[in-house]
Amino acid sequence: MSPPPCPDLLDAQARLASHGWIAPKAENFRHLPPPPASAWLAPPATPTTKPTTEPSDPTESWHVRALDAAQADQFITQYLNPAIPAQRAMLFRGLPWPDESDAAHFGWMHRATCQRGLRVHIAGDPARHAAAPLRLVLHIAPAAPFDAPLLVIDVAAGAHCVLLEQHAFDPSADAGVQNLDLHIRLGQGARLQHLRTVAPAPHDRLAHQLHVTLAEGAHYDQALLASGSAYHLQRTQIDLHQPGSAARMGAALLAADATLDQQIALSHTAADTYSAVESLLLASGKAHAVLNAHTLIATGADNANVRQRLCAIPTSGQPRVVLRPHMEIHHDQVQAAHGATYGALPDEALFYARQRGLDEASALALILQGLQRAVLERALDDPELLTGMSAAPSRLKQARTAARQGEGTPLNLDAALARMTQQHLARSTA
Amino acid sequence: MNTHTTGKTMTQPTPLLSVRDLRVEVGERTVLESISLDIQSGELVVLMGANGSGKSTLGLTLAGHPRYRVSAGSARFHGQDLLAQKPEERAHAGLFVSLQAPPDIPGVKNALFLRSALNAVRASRGEPQLDAFDFLKDARALSSELGLDAKLLSRPVNEGFSGGERKRNEMLQLALLKPRLALLDEIDSGMDVDGVRAVVKQVQAMRAQGTAFVVVSHYLQLIESLTPDTVLRLDQGRIAETGTLALARDIARTGFARQSETAEV
Repeated sequence: MSPPPCPDLLDAQARLASHGWIAPKAENFRHLPPPPASAWLAPPATPTTKPTTEPSDPTESWHVRALDAAQADQFITQYLNPAIPAQRAMLFRGLPWPDESDAAHFGWMHRATCQRGLRVHIAGDPARHAAAPLRLVLHIAPAAPFDAPLLVIDVAAGAHCVLLEQHAFDPSADAGVQNLDLHIRLGQGARLQHLRTVAPAPHDRLAHQLHVTLAEGAHYDQALLASGSAYHLQRTQIDLHQPGSAARMGAALLAADATLDQQIALSHTAADTYSAVESLLLASGKAHAVLNAHTLIATGADNANVRQRLCAIPTSGQPRVVLRPHMEIHHDQVQAAHGATYGALPDEALFYARQRGLDEASALALILQGLQRAVLERALDDPELLTGMSAAPSRLKQARTAARQGEGTPLNLDAALARMTQQHLARSTA
Repeated sequence: MNTHTTGKTMTQPTPLLSVRDLRVEVGERTVLESISLDIQSGELVVLMGANGSGKSTLGLTLAGHPRYRVSAGSARFHGQDLLAQKPEERAHAGLFVSLQAPPDIPGVKNALFLRSALNAVRASRGEPQLDAFDFLKDARALSSELGLDAKLLSRPVNEGFSGGERKRNEMLQLALLKPRLALLDEIDSGMDVDGVRAVVKQVQAMRAQGTAFVVVSHYLQLIESLTPDTVLRLDQGRIAETGTLALARDIARTGFARQSETAEV
């Protein structure tokens, strides 16, 4: 017998029933409307009452692990089944209801359809993290063709964590739907460097919503590498509501005959807050992509410092691209800059690389990877995080030995960057 | 036909590079009217000329830059039709052109760029690929010889490099790629005294191994140090004069304007 539905689940369902789906002219979605509500509903099935457990096979479903086994005691994971009322209460505890924005519909839909949950608590240990930040890998694969996971990551005050979030999709599987909600909450003085790779199969439909809340003096950096699909929404909302909090977002986005919608909403309400957004989109063929950045500086956000930079480069074909940098400033003592540019491929650099012996395709791939890498590096302010390997002589020998023994380094956005750029160019050519 | 050949032509084999009546246009403008020259392996030719005379255009055209359109003439390099080849095929054949202003390549580590280029050239020669570790060992040793800070290997190509560092980086590429013919376009500009000495040392060492050079420069001190076989003066898209070191000394003393007047007389 199924357990009785939870009150919040009923509320979500009622809300969807009364408010309907995202209106065709909704501001955030008017350039790239999402699929209808029915696309985001799970096919009818009996909800499971079997509690989820951490998979024994780390390549399945989802899991979090420390890169350094000695750091395994610095975080706690809880796998929770929202079909079980007690676990659902634990999973959603302390999370805000979806706000009133256009995108809230995805939030309500997620509440109504959430099937699995994971909470991660990262302990604060400033003394240990000063020497070496906690390095975690979060691996996520769809649990089913319809997937609505909820992740909650709490980073305790003073902690410093590097998190590599890797999504795995199977191009040979049937078209999938994923509606992911991720809540990140940083304690006082905490820092999270968040590396994300999201490369869905061409026929998949995705909506990822991140909600980031920062306490006083907390820092959040995100480097996102994502490619387009039948529908792909990447929305990040960051609340800088405490003094001295800071956030940087760098995104390298690839859309080849695919759709991709990036929405970034930043809210500065406290003094001495900082945010920087930089997105680079490479689009080709009949891609349809939108970069939408909105930064709000509220009254009282003294000395807020904000930057927005959006750039799109068509690599071939006639992609449809919309850049929407938007700042809403309600305070005088602030620094703000924003820009949006439609660029061209760097012809001189391409010729230079070819003159040195690289064929045209290799030169193009190398240069496009470089352009993306530069954006991601600026977001993280630490190039080594992208390679996961230091070129320092003292570590070179170890790295060489590891490479020759076939040991990869999992903390490596560079490899994903190379692979995804090659795929982009291959699809562009096709 | 205004053809430059060395004085040893009668006893030399087929030239490494043979250019005949080359005419080059950029947009609607003709930059090179008619250039003919032969260069042998191991030869060092200095190319002089006033600004806008076509020195850089010659190098970029030979390298296959898409902006430069060849409307007449021919160029054979190492027995092949150079103008029919793609830029990378010319590089694989052994042509290296050092740019006057090497561009930045944001986000691409210098070491990765150099290794990728070197491995592409090695692949074309049927040589095995170098892994990152062997490459770095060689690159660091050569950087040290050139006075190039090895830290620049881990920075993006030319990004934030000083003028001298860019030129040293070009010399590092030259040393790694070991071409048959190198065209160095104002390699000395922006370089300090030590850098220029390192250039001379490297050029002489490679020349002794058979690499031919075309060096574009305005500075007599460098030209004298290189002990060229031939000095060419380019004027309005043509080779106006062919000579030896004495010609370079004359130009340094009298200037290009005076030289042009003399030639017309």
